[in-house]
Amino acid sequence: MEYNLTSDEVAQQSGAWRTHPNTIVHQLTVAQPRWMQILFYGGLTLLSIIGLIALGVRLLEGLRITALTSPMGWGMWVAVYIYFIGLSAGSFLLSTLIYVFGMEQYEKAGRMALLSALFALMAGMLFVWIDLGHPWRFWHVFTRWNYTSVLAWEVIAYGFYITVLASELWLLMRCDLADLALRTTGWRQIFYRVVSLGFRCPQNQNQYQYCHTQSMQRVKTLGMIGVPVAIIVHGGTGSIFAVVLAKPYWYSGLFPIIFLVSALASGAALMTFLYGFFGRKDEDHFAITRGLANLMILFIGIDLILITAEFLVGLYGNIPEHREVYHALLFGQFRYTFWVGQMLFGILIPILLVTLPRMRHNTFWLGLGGLSAVIGIVAVRFNLVVPAYIVPMLPGLDHAINEARWAHSYFPSFWELASSIGGVALVVLPFSIAFRLLPLFHEIGEQFKETADPMPVTPEQSRVVDQQFQQDPGGVPNV
Amino acid sequence: MEKYARQREVWDRMADAFQPTESQTSVEPLADRSGKAGVGTQPTPPKAQATPINLVGRREALQHMTQNVLAGLTLALWSSQPRAVEAAASELEALELPELPPPQPGEDVLMRMMRDLQRALAKPKEQRHWVMVIDLRKCVGCHACTIACVTENALPPGVLYRPVMEEEVGTYPHVARRFLPRPCLQCGNPPCVPVCPVHATWKGADGIVVIDYDACIGCRYCITACPYGARSFDFGEHHSDNAPHRAEYDMVASPEYGQFRQRQGQQSPVGNARKCHFCKHRIEKGMLPQCVTTCIGRATFFGDANDSANLVSELIASPNVMRLKEELGTEPSAYYLV
Ligand code: SF4
Ligand code: SF4
Repeated sequence: MEYNLTSDEVAQQSGAWRTHPNTIVHQLTVAQPRWMQILFYGGLTLLSIIGLIALGVRLLEGLRITALTSPMGWGMWVAVYIYFIGLSAGSFLLSTLIYVFGMEQYEKAGRMALLSALFALMAGMLFVWIDLGHPWRFWHVFTRWNYTSVLAWEVIAYGFYITVLASELWLLMRCDLADLALRTTGWRQIFYRVVSLGFRCPQNQNQYQYCHTQSMQRVKTLGMIGVPVAIIVHGGTGSIFAVVLAKPYWYSGLFPIIFLVSALASGAALMTFLYGFFGRKDEDHFAITRGLANLMILFIGIDLILITAEFLVGLYGNIPEHREVYHALLFGQFRYTFWVGQMLFGILIPILLVTLPRMRHNTFWLGLGGLSAVIGIVAVRFNLVVPAYIVPMLPGLDHAINEARWAHSYFPSFWELASSIGGVALVVLPFSIAFRLLPLFHEIGEQFKETADPMPVTPEQSRVVDQQFQQDPGGVPNV
Repeated sequence: MEKYARQREVWDRMADAFQPTESQTSVEPLADRSGKAGVGTQPTPPKAQATPINLVGRREALQHMTQNVLAGLTLALWSSQPRAVEAAASELEALELPELPPPQPGEDVLMRMMRDLQRALAKPKEQRHWVMVIDLRKCVGCHACTIACVTENALPPGVLYRPVMEEEVGTYPHVARRFLPRPCLQCGNPPCVPVCPVHATWKGADGIVVIDYDACIGCRYCITACPYGARSFDFGEHHSDNAPHRAEYDMVASPEYGQFRQRQGQQSPVGNARKCHFCKHRIEKGMLPQCVTTCIGRATFFGDANDSANLVSELIASPNVMRLKEELGTEPSAYYLV
């Protein structure tokens, strides 16, 4: 994997981008070998088609295509839903480390974190939507909002959160997007014009600096609003479960905190993976990947402590409904998702890859550690949701009803698996495209460093912006 | 049985009113169930077309989908008054109640309960508190109430309102069996209600926890939150799913909440949470819940606890009464005599 052009080469071919406008866009992201791209996008498209089919089947057939039962009310889809909400909240909270808490060494991963947060949230929404028995009635949540329901509050929180996320992302990229809209042609230009929402390029270094400072200030404010919102988003998602007194496994004050910490772990893992594999390979690449990997290990460690605490208390307390869940996790029905998924992929492999002396100096292994945790945390989410259901609500209830839909065991059906994998692909595909197209790793002010030329705009536009800037330095340049 | 003729007439009228016209076909219902149901309480099942399953054409499938979308967007708007279910049920309240014979020594306890019921119905709704008492010493574990409930409410596979749990005590050869029927306990402080994001389930003035099928989005949060496993989800399956034709008994409209919904496609109650409602549609017409009527051991009692002369008030005042998982503070309205 290498760049088509280094930044020096671009600078040398001064003016080259004018004749080949797309060159600079390619330069912004990593270029993989062609066959890899075909394989990647081909595979994703195929999976997305499967996802669309599964989605269609699900919408036409209803929930009967699932392996869910009345007592095991929430299954794979809910697990995937909280997984993505966790990824989103985790990535977002990591980005606030940069934009709110001033850990600027990670700045280059900041936009990527926000973009993943945005797409992960959309994936989460997709899965909670298809989990509804009447998906076309989702809007009832707004018209018949019930303030006592955590789920209803969460929907509001998701709305706020997505607004904060999208605004931050736009503010961070607006200058670059406007710049790209001018430099490119064809559909790319249309795309950049649309996503820049009409924002126009700063004309010179001064205006750029001004505009940049303003963006960063606003991002900081938004980030400060975003921190509690993200905590509510994922802590609240944990509370959906934690408030259910019928399920002792969930009914604990620690549960939302575990959600938050494992969200941070999954967010850091995703960042490590994405940045390690697809981040811009410059002199900071290793340091940033390494730093993200360390954060990931930190959060995995805290998560492990919390989970151990929960397990110890539950097992020691020996209350049957409580203990049985832990037994099912440790030795029973869920031992594979627990030991292989949660422990091996989610904890052991990442820790080993990040700490073993041979691996820890290589971004590839660090990224792989991130990927392993990203996969392992799917199992963590599954283990947070499903095992709580296996204990019958009353002794004997599991034998009282000999119906398939009253079984106290669950393994996702074919369509549930297909729609989960396909649904993930449906979100990863646009994410990958956005990842390539958006100026995620574009160094701020790059265009001014590399070319002494003013930005390529018409003299007329240039005049208007300068005028505006002089008249109202506090406003945003807008033509 | 003549006493119920008037009721039946009303039921029939309602059944006709609720019945979609296209299901009026030449196919005769399997049997007149109202003639067989003993006390004669089951409404005539609406005539249903035997629809072949599995062979849904593309057009039909698209049509269903469009219908669902449109129905979702329009119907629910129209019916989104939170009290729609109650309104539908209280429509029936103006009914004349059946005339009962005066109390006689040695009469069936059902007669007394029916008289108590009529007294309760004469009061305003807010002053009633429906309570069920189950005498575990009398329960023989015949599961007749489970089945009666399935028939009364035309429940599909996987939806059960009143299972009977069996428990074996002791070790062989010193064993005994215990039975525990479990309706929805209509909790005084129901954990299933506050969790609903769309206010589709609530506790009515008479203490019965109801579900508005048109409002419910099928998120299954309430099912998760019920500490008694008293809610089922309607996955849209039919008893005759593997048969070449859909049987007519699968298309019987359920009289629940007086709404007579037929389960078709993905129309409510398919895709909704469902639960026992103490046969709200029956009690509001002076009939006891079907499980009470049918119980062969007369182990289940029903009545208004806000009336000290009521049989259930007497029963729940006895010292050998208990409620399930009382420590959760759910205040169930179902009591067990042990
Ligand atoms: S028994 Fe369950 S469904 Fe019935 S009112 Fe109580 S919590 Fe709700
Ligand atoms: S399944 Fe229906 S009634 Fe139950 S919580 Fe969800 S929307 Fe409310």
